[in-house]
Amino acid sequence: MTSRVTSVPNALCRHCLLPLGRRGFVHPVNGESCQFCCYGCCIAYQVKSGSGEASEAAWLLVRLGAGGFLSMNIMLFSLLVYSGAFTGTDRRVLPTIHLLLWGLATPAVLILGEPFLRETWSQIRRGRLGSSALIVLGSLAAYSYSTLAVFRLGGYLYFDTAAMVLMLFTVGRYVEAAGRARASRDLAPLLAAESESATVVEGAEEHRRSVREVRAGMLIRVRPGERIPVDGLIVEGCSHTDDSVISGESRQIAKAVGDSVLAGSINLDGPLLIRSSGSGDQSRWAHICRSVRDALQQSSRTQRIADRWVGAFVPVVLVLAGLTLAYWSQRLPFDRAMLAALSVLVVACPCAVGLAAPMAHSLGIGQLARHGCLVRSPGALEALAVTRLIAFDKTGTLTLGSPHLVDLASDGVGEEEVLARLAGLERHSEHGLARAIALAARARGLDPIATEDVRVVPGRGLRGVVDGEVVAAGSAALMHELGWQLPPALVERADVMATSGHSVVFIGWSEKPCAGRARAVLSFDDTPLPEARATIEALRALGIRVMLLTGDHAGAAARVAATVGVEDWQAGLAPDAKRVALDQCRPRRGAVAMVGDGLNDGPGLAWADVGIAVGSATDLARETADLVLPRGGLWLLPWVVGRARAVRSSVLANLAWAFGYNLIALTCAVLGLLQPILAAAVMAGSSLLVVLNSLRLERLPGPSYPGARRSSSAARAASQPQQRLEIPHTWAESSSPRPWPEGQGFSRRIR
Amino acid sequence: MSYYALLFVAGIAGSFHCIGMCGGFACALGGDPRGRGATAVRHALYNTGRLTTYCFLGGLAGGLGGAIYTCLGTRSQPGVPVLSESLGAVQRGLAVIAGLLMIVMALQFFGLRNLRRLTTGFGGSTLATALRSLLRTRGHAAPLAFGVVNGFLPCPLVYAMVAQAASSLDVLSGCLTMAAFGLGTFPTMLVMGGLGRLLAPRWRQHGVRLAGGFILALGLVTLARGIVPMTAHPHHIWHFA
Repeated sequence: MTSRVTSVPNALCRHCLLPLGRRGFVHPVNGESCQFCCYGCCIAYQVKSGSGEASEAAWLLVRLGAGGFLSMNIMLFSLLVYSGAFTGTDRRVLPTIHLLLWGLATPAVLILGEPFLRETWSQIRRGRLGSSALIVLGSLAAYSYSTLAVFRLGGYLYFDTAAMVLMLFTVGRYVEAAGRARASRDLAPLLAAESESATVVEGAEEHRRSVREVRAGMLIRVRPGERIPVDGLIVEGCSHTDDSVISGESRQIAKAVGDSVLAGSINLDGPLLIRSSGSGDQSRWAHICRSVRDALQQSSRTQRIADRWVGAFVPVVLVLAGLTLAYWSQRLPFDRAMLAALSVLVVACPCAVGLAAPMAHSLGIGQLARHGCLVRSPGALEALAVTRLIAFDKTGTLTLGSPHLVDLASDGVGEEEVLARLAGLERHSEHGLARAIALAARARGLDPIATEDVRVVPGRGLRGVVDGEVVAAGSAALMHELGWQLPPALVERADVMATSGHSVVFIGWSEKPCAGRARAVLSFDDTPLPEARATIEALRALGIRVMLLTGDHAGAAARVAATVGVEDWQAGLAPDAKRVALDQCRPRRGAVAMVGDGLNDGPGLAWADVGIAVGSATDLARETADLVLPRGGLWLLPWVVGRARAVRSSVLANLAWAFGYNLIALTCAVLGLLQPILAAAVMAGSSLLVVLNSLRLERLPGPSYPGARRSSSAARAASQPQQRLEIPHTWAESSSPRPWPEGQGFSRRIR
Repeated sequence: MSYYALLFVAGIAGSFHCIGMCGGFACALGGDPRGRGATAVRHALYNTGRLTTYCFLGGLAGGLGGAIYTCLGTRSQPGVPVLSESLGAVQRGLAVIAGLLMIVMALQFFGLRNLRRLTTGFGGSTLATALRSLLRTRGHAAPLAFGVVNGFLPCPLVYAMVAQAASSLDVLSGCLTMAAFGLGTFPTMLVMGGLGRLLAPRWRQHGVRLAGGFILALGLVTLARGIVPMTAHPHHIWHFA
C-alpha cells in the first residue's frame, strides 16, 4: 500500500508542499497516488481530504480513533492502579485488571505502532536508523516487558507507556504536519500555478485548458476573483487588478480595454477578455513559481548541519540508552532501570529539529514571493540576515535607468550621421543607452544605418561593420583598446561632461580597423530613484553599511551618491574591479551583498555572498542572483532584510529550543528523573512550540512604501507594468560593463 | 453520592445543549440497515467512545489536580488527616477556578457570543468536517472511533466538567465526575439517534437555556464551595474512596 519514492526526486509533499526529503513515500488516497514527506502529513492530508465515500481517510480515522479508545482506557486503568484505587480489599481484582490491560494494549500497539514500524523497517533496509526506530524500540520494549510481567514475572506493568508514547508521537506528527501546511499556505497558489487552467474562448465555445497549452494570440476569459493566467492585453471589459505578486505592492489598479495585464495578478471586480501575448509558461509569473519551487528544494547550511547532527544522534542515543539500562539495573529493580532507558529513547527523538528550519524558511520564502521578491535558496535568506555591507550598483539600481541624451560634440562629422550610425549599432544591444539613442534618432527623424557583425566588447562597448567600415562605440578604454586615436578636443569635452556627472560615450569609425579615430562624444544623464534615499536610510538604520560601486565616472558617482545619501563610493570600476572592491570589504564585514539591475552586474552579483537583482527574474535561473526584487522594488530591500533576519532568528530559536530541550531532557532521563509518558508528552509539546514559534513570523508586518505619497514615476511604473517590462535595462556608464552576452558565462564563487 | 447524582442531572440538562452539535452527529450516524439491534449497538458504541474520552479527560484532570496539590501541599505531613489546612486551600482554589470557568461558560449560553471564539476556535471545525467521512463507514470500529474523537471536540460543557473534575484532586473521583456527566448525556443522545430530527428545531433553544441555567447553578455551587469555609460542608464527598 505504501511505497518509497524512487522515480520523482524533486517532488513536493502533497500536504505541506515542502520537499519530500529522505523520508518521503507514496501513499494512495482516494484512489490517487499521493506523495508525502512524513507520516504526519499523510495523516493530516487524509483527514483534510476526507470527504464523500472516501474509505481511505475514514479508515485512517477509524484506526486513530480505535487506537485512542484503547490507549485512553489503558491510561485510565493504569492511572487508577497508580493512584492506589485497587489496594486493600480491592487487591484481588488486580490480576484481572492486568489481563484487561494486556488485552487492550496488544491491539493498541499494533494499530498505532504499525506506521512507525513500517518506517523503521524501510530505513533499516536502506542502512539507516531514524527517530522512528527509537519510538518503536521504546514502545516494544515496554510492551514486551509488561507482557512478560503479566504472564510470568509479576510486578509493575508499563502498557500505558507503550500505548501513550505511540499515541503522543502520532499526535505530535499530526501537529507538525498541520503546522507545516499552515506555513506553506502562502505558497500554495505559487506551486499550483503550473497546473492551473485558463478559460480559452474559441469562437462561441469556451474550454478549460492547462496554462501550459496557452499560446500567444489566444483569447482568455478571466472572471472576477480569478488569477490572470497569462500576460496579455484586455480586449473586452474593465476591472481592477491586484499586482502585488509582480510589483510587491498591494494596490488596486484600474484596467480598461487596451491595457496590459500580467499573469499572476488577481482580477478583482469585473469580467475580462484577454488576448494572450505569450505562451503561458513563459510569463514572469511562471518564472516566479518555478523559482519558488526550486528554492524549496534546497536546504540551508543550518538545516544541513542539523540533519547531520540528527543522523549522528540516533546511534549515540541507542548506546546511551543501553548504558543507562546497564547502570541503573545494578542499583534499582530491573523495571525501573528499563523505564529510565525508555525515557532516554523517547526523549532523544529529535523530531522538532527536523521541523525547525523548513517551516520558517517556507514561511519566509512564501511571504517574500507574495510581494514579488524571489529567493533562490533558503541559504540566501540566511546569508542576507548576516549581511553587514550592501554595495549598490548605480545605474538602473539607484537611478531610474532610463537616461536621455544631454550633449553631443563631434569632430568633423555631422550630428545626424553620428546618431544614425550609433542608432544602427545600438539596435543590436539591450543596453539602456540604446533606448536613449534610438529615442534621440527618432526625434530627429533619422533612420538607423544597417550594421552587420555587431559584437559586444564586455564592459567597454560595441563594435560592428557598415559597408566594410568598422564602427565602434563605447568608453575611452574601448578606443584605446582598438588603438584608435582620441582627438584632444573630444577628450576635453568628454572630461567636462564627466565632471558634471554625465555618462559619456565615444563613437568612431574607420575603413582600416587599426587606424581609426573617435569622431564624436555623447553624454547622457540619468535621475536618481526618488525612493533610493529613504531605502538607504532604512538600511543604515538596520545597522548595514552601504556603499556605491560603479563603473561610471567619479563625477557621476559623486553626484548620485550625494543625492541618495551614500558616503562611501568607488567609481570607474570595471567588472573585475568590483569583485576586488567586494573582496576588500569581505574580511572586515563578514557577508557582503551586491545590488544591481542584474544585467550588467552579473560578475559582481555572482561574486557577492548575496547577489540581489532588481527586476530581472531570469538571473535567478542563471544563478547570477540569489534574491530578485520586483521591477521598481528597491524600496522593498529593508523589509526583505528584516524578514531574512526574522527567519534566521526564528530558525536559531527553534534549533536552540529543540536541541536544548533534547539535551536537558536527555540528562534528566539518564539520571532516571523522567517518566517515559511525560517525556513523550513534552516531546509532542516541543513540536507544538516549534510550530507556534515559526508561525509567529506570520504576524510580522508587510512592506510599506517609504513616504506617504508615491512618486509619479513609480505610479506610472505600477499602472503600466507591461510597458515598463519592455524597457531594456541600462548600462549608461561609459566605462562600465556592457550587456552580458549569453554565452559568456562566469563561474560563481564557491563558498 | 448525591454529588454524582447532581452531575448526572447536569449531564441530562446539559445534553439539551448537545443537540446542536453532537446531536447532529448522532442523527447523522443514523441507523444500521441490518435492523434495530444493529442500530442500537452502533449508537451504544458511539456513546461508549464518547464516554471513554470523557472519563479519560476526567481522570487526567483529577490526577493533575492531585499532582498540583502534592506540589503545593508538601508541607502537610504524611498521616495528617485528609482535610488538612493546605488541602483545603488548594482544593478551594481549584473550586473557585472551576466555578468561575463554569459561570463564564454558562453566560455564553445566554448570549455572550463573543466568548464563542474562545471555546470553539481550536480547530474543531476542521476536525468536525473530516469526521463526517467516518459517519458513512460501516463496521463497529467506526462509530467507536467517531465517539472517541467526538469527545475531544471543543465543547464548553465538557470544559466546565473537566474543571470540576480537576478540583476533585483524585483520579478516580475525576473519572467518576466525568462518567456521571457523560452518562447523563446518554438519554438525549440516544433519543436523538433514534428520533432523529423531529425534536431538534423546537427544543434546541429551550435546551440551550436550560443547560445554561444548570451550568450556572453548578458553577455557583462550586464557587461557593471554594469561598465558604470548609467547615460549612457536611461531608468530604470528594474523598469518599
